[in-house]
Amino acid sequence: MDANRLSQGQLVAAIGAIALFIISFLPWFSIGQAITVGGTSVGGSVNRNMWEAENPLDIYLLIVILVALVPAAMAMLGDGAEAPLAPVATALLAGVGTILIFYQLFDHFGSGVSIKIGLILGLIACGAVAVGGYLTMQEDAGGERY
Amino acid sequence: MVGGRLSQGQVIAAVGAVVLLVGMFLPWIGVSGSSLPSGVNLPPGVANGISGAASTSDNIWKGSTLDIYLLITAVVALLPALLALTDAAEEFSFVSAATFLLGVVGTILVIAWLTVDFPDGADRKYGAFIGLAAAIVIAIGGFRAMQEEVAGEI
Repeated sequence: MDANRLSQGQLVAAIGAIALFIISFLPWFSIGQAITVGGTSVGGSVNRNMWEAENPLDIYLLIVILVALVPAAMAMLGDGAEAPLAPVATALLAGVGTILIFYQLFDHFGSGVSIKIGLILGLIACGAVAVGGYLTMQEDAGGERY
Repeated sequence: MVGGRLSQGQVIAAVGAVVLLVGMFLPWIGVSGSSLPSGVNLPPGVANGISGAASTSDNIWKGSTLDIYLLITAVVALLPALLALTDAAEEFSFVSAATFLLGVVGTILVIAWLTVDFPDGADRKYGAFIGLAAAIVIAIGGFRAMQEEVAGEI
């Protein structure tokens, strides 16, 4: 493995993807659970990470992580296989992922749910993956802008 | 080319996008259950689904991130058709690839939502299957449009 084989964009995308994977295990949501029975309230709040939320976002962000990491791993291993769609896929899917996480800031399903630090950090990491994908697109096009 | 400007793949993707947009307003999830005992209050958001004796159904706009993703997918799938109609397709040549990618991932997400992420005790409604079929059609249309673009360059 040789990290010097990675372009700047691939490096940014790979670091963002690794950060996103680690951040996915931090608390993303807090769910207040209180049940009132005969005038007595029982309950508290429970933290949920990205994987525990009943939401397809976990599978989507896993796809983003894989799409960002696989081309970088192939480049580091010196695999000559060409993946011309990889930078576009990374930029597009991570860009949409950033929109989806941002959307979660305002639409987190009910008044009993609040956002936690993982969601904010996940937003930043996903944005970094998108920027890395875009930089790779530009590098591949030899400076030609999309 | 269909109609002189749109390729067959672009038409397929656009039809899939329109079906998806319509399908998103159909019932995707149904909840039926008996009344709760008197004096039992559930947290906000839960009560609407199960406290009534009658069955209720919701579309995809309520309760999932899938709504905004599928909206983006449908808009991107419609974009090549709109750009082709205005002769501006050359400026955004990667849109067919984007349609294909978003369609494939959308198909995966709807399947995951119908299986892994589906709420316990709820029923799958026909809107979800129409949405799944539309996402598959968008992916096929995007792939075909990509192939047509490559064939046009040779």
